[in-house]
Amino acid sequence: MLAEFTPARPGSWAGSVLTGLAALAMLAGCATVPPKDSSAYQSYLERNDPLEPMNRYFFEVNRGLDELVLKPAAAAYNAALPYPVQDSVRAFINNLRSPLILANDLLQGEGDRAYVTLSRFIVNTSIGVLGLFDVATEIGLDYHDEDFGQTMAVAGVGSGPYLMLPLLGPTNPRDLVGRVVDFAFDPLTYIGGADARLARTSADTVDYRNRNRKTIEALQEGSLDFYATVRNASRQRREDEIRNRRPQPDPTSPGVIFEDDQ
Amino acid sequence: MAAAAAALMLPLRFPKPARAQDFMSATDPGEFIDQLGQAAILHLTDKSISSEERRRRFRDLMHKAFNVPGIGRFVLGRYWNQATEDERQEYMRLFEELVVRTYADRFSEYSGEKFTIGKVQRDAERQNYATVFTTIYRPNGQMVRVDWRVRQEQDQSWRVVDMVVEGVSMSVTQRSEFASVIESKGGTVKGLIETLRQKVQGA
Repeated sequence: MLAEFTPARPGSWAGSVLTGLAALAMLAGCATVPPKDSSAYQSYLERNDPLEPMNRYFFEVNRGLDELVLKPAAAAYNAALPYPVQDSVRAFINNLRSPLILANDLLQGEGDRAYVTLSRFIVNTSIGVLGLFDVATEIGLDYHDEDFGQTMAVAGVGSGPYLMLPLLGPTNPRDLVGRVVDFAFDPLTYIGGADARLARTSADTVDYRNRNRKTIEALQEGSLDFYATVRNASRQRREDEIRNRRPQPDPTSPGVIFEDDQ
Repeated sequence: MAAAAAALMLPLRFPKPARAQDFMSATDPGEFIDQLGQAAILHLTDKSISSEERRRRFRDLMHKAFNVPGIGRFVLGRYWNQATEDERQEYMRLFEELVVRTYADRFSEYSGEKFTIGKVQRDAERQNYATVFTTIYRPNGQMVRVDWRVRQEQDQSWRVVDMVVEGVSMSVTQRSEFASVIESKGGTVKGLIETLRQKVQGA
């Protein structure tokens, strides 16, 4: 088993991850499919998680990594840097993402949002000293994120089944393809190389973990099956991002309605 | 006794005396959420009260402002119909306990968060449902979007049926989690009740 995790090619961590994934998928197998017409089958479809045993395994791996690496890193980051500096880190990371966000705004036909992204980039890179200060937000140009996974979703591409990946966390095949496309089209990949991109992603992750520590604690504390909570909550969050945080468009299905009222 | 309690409550009530008391009589959903928020800050965020007292106050407020039986039933989803009367009662008791234990203590961490009421949107098809969009401002400048799903009762008062935090519905998430627990316990509500009991006793 251990041999499976040695890199397929020297220096290729992606190769080793993929080999490990394939080995585990075979080892853990897929979730057993309950007989059709049963309540369990309906539940199986709702979960949309045929690789659940493997996903649960990686979830535990990630939780271990979170405890060992991410949580201490986020705590150290929080202790070392005062809030204004943390905000500058966040502003700098967000600014570096601008070209990607702009491209995806345009691909989704969101002219107004593209205009905001472009204006933000110009203002923050110049007046905001290379993106260290988010001056744009102060003048009413609020930040928003976009990625190619969302662009595909807007174009009608389905997410596919749930995936929990080591380090990358909750995702799905569509968004995974989106990440690869974003990587290929991100100017930072060519200006600073893969290392610069990795550094940005790491800083992004640590900052995100730090900002959301209370929320993560609260979720974990009240949870009976944290894996299931994260699976469902991360999907809802993604749907919300895809809708650009606008309320559900169909007024007849805006949320919870009790059975007796239907 | 009652007078002493009232005297103790007096300084607490001072900032917004009239508004904090009568959120139950609010006719507008936005007004209801606004007043509920004021009441929660007033009664639950006091750092000097004990954890038991906070939970007691939280439970009190929850019973008044939330449709707890409706939420509990929604969260159990299609398994509600499979459950026996005894199971339903036991489940409801434990579900309520879980909610109290999960949320009540959060209010002790309150540090000056402010919230503003935004748009109020009534359902097109069902006039007794509405969504109140609010934003919570943290002292560190972070903003959190919370959409309150409310339902009008027979007596015309509004009650909360769901909270949607940054696009994530608490009721829907909880329902999905409970379904997962039930399926892993052989598809019976009994298994969920057992897990809930352990959780509530351990918390």
